[in-house]
Amino acid sequence: MRLSLLVLPLALAATAALAHGPTPQKVSQSISIKASPDAVWKAAGDFAGIGKWHPAIGKAEGSGSKDGGTRTLTFKNGGKLEESLDEYKPEGRTYSYRMGEPNLTALPVSSYSATFTVSPEGAGSKVEWMGRFYRGDTGNEPPENLSDEAGKAAMNAYFSEGLKGLKAAVEGGKSK
Amino acid sequence: MIRPALVALFLAPALAGLPVRAATVYVASQQGAQVTRVEAGAVVGHATVAEAPATVAAGGGSVFLSHPDGHAITVTDAATGVVLRRLPYRGQAFGLAASADGRTLFVADWSGHRVDRLSAADGTVEASAETGRDPAHITLDRAGRLYVADRESHQISVFETERMTRLATISVGTAPFALALSPDERRLYVGNVRSNDLTVIDTQALKPLTTVPVGPMPYGVSVSPDGARVLVTNQQAGTVTVLDAGTLAIAATVGVGRYPEGIVIEDGRAYVANWFSDSVSVLDLATLKEVARLPVAEGPRSLAVAAAAKEILR
Repeated sequence: MRLSLLVLPLALAATAALAHGPTPQKVSQSISIKASPDAVWKAAGDFAGIGKWHPAIGKAEGSGSKDGGTRTLTFKNGGKLEESLDEYKPEGRTYSYRMGEPNLTALPVSSYSATFTVSPEGAGSKVEWMGRFYRGDTGNEPPENLSDEAGKAAMNAYFSEGLKGLKAAVEGGKSK
Repeated sequence: MIRPALVALFLAPALAGLPVRAATVYVASQQGAQVTRVEAGAVVGHATVAEAPATVAAGGGSVFLSHPDGHAITVTDAATGVVLRRLPYRGQAFGLAASADGRTLFVADWSGHRVDRLSAADGTVEASAETGRDPAHITLDRAGRLYVADRESHQISVFETERMTRLATISVGTAPFALALSPDERRLYVGNVRSNDLTVIDTQALKPLTTVPVGPMPYGVSVSPDGARVLVTNQQAGTVTVLDAGTLAIAATVGVGRYPEGIVIEDGRAYVANWFSDSVSVLDLATLKEVARLPVAEGPRSLAVAAAAKEILR
């Protein structure tokens, strides 16, 4: 079923929210930070604290850094996404979460799940942010802006810009 | 009930004194566009296929692959991996099930909300049925009944496959995706990806019996050949939950690779496709430990076992 771009967001709201298509794609970004894993985790381990270091996020509010915890992200471009934690493991400095309802303005994807991990690397840390997502248009003739390629570009940019923001916040010693 | 012709086909080599081939596990890699053949816990070969295969199914000496974005189904020779033909398919082919003789193929059209019965020879649609929304995986039983996980309708649709008429609609958890029958086919186990649980269905009554919690995002389900254990892959945790089929108690949780999806069991081993790690975990079912991790082409999701002749003889 082909829909014009204007109608698509309404159609997504009306039909199955949280739906994805049959072909997932990978996203994976990492960065090295000159700080101890504990120092990095102090900044990044607060699930709803992402608003303090991610340049694309205007505001983030959350219900807690624990299994089942949620956060609502308000992007600077106006889009909003809610995410929920599947597993929060502070002893491993890692957490896994999944997207709630899609918002194509925030990110041109219909669904994703992701994992964020801080590991020791030499004298500092390595942060890895990786996941699985499905493109914005789940049918098999997506428009270019909701295609797999568009999704990959957006998700990779979102993760890499976030990691750069985290690095600046931790190494610079102050939040953005 | 196994058809007499099929029994003869499988008995013939054994009666002739020829060695019986071990069963082969086929692994489809989506991004890598390859099918890898695994036997007895080791890679024995691979073959390149068309872009983005999602699901693999085996039947009658053929291996079938769905290409959701490619409007096609690939048919390969099970023994050699050689691509024999491609069947055109107008919809978004995802879930697959093949008849034991490999002559008939069932295909779930994800965005078409239907399931089609195709001739495996040329892809002619012989019969069709409307499913719920976003049909994902499907499975066929020996009586010719087809079970479909309607992911966004949170139900299993059941059809008889002579005329593709609906027999039942069974409510399950949220976002059913993968499903597996017990060896006696009296139980159907369904993994619900968003409610993180497993629904057990009585296939005689065609009703749900119970739903039990498993790990986050259960994307794969398989049952051991003795019917004693149910294995579920938890994609968000990178683990496999092993349940006792009788009590549904969790017997073990085994670590595998990243973002695991499909799982099959063959000859005392479970094989798990680690989609993000680009590998297959081999689990020894006696010890419930991972004994090997086999590298495969990028993005393995789905596995299928070609029924071995020796299985029919048991």
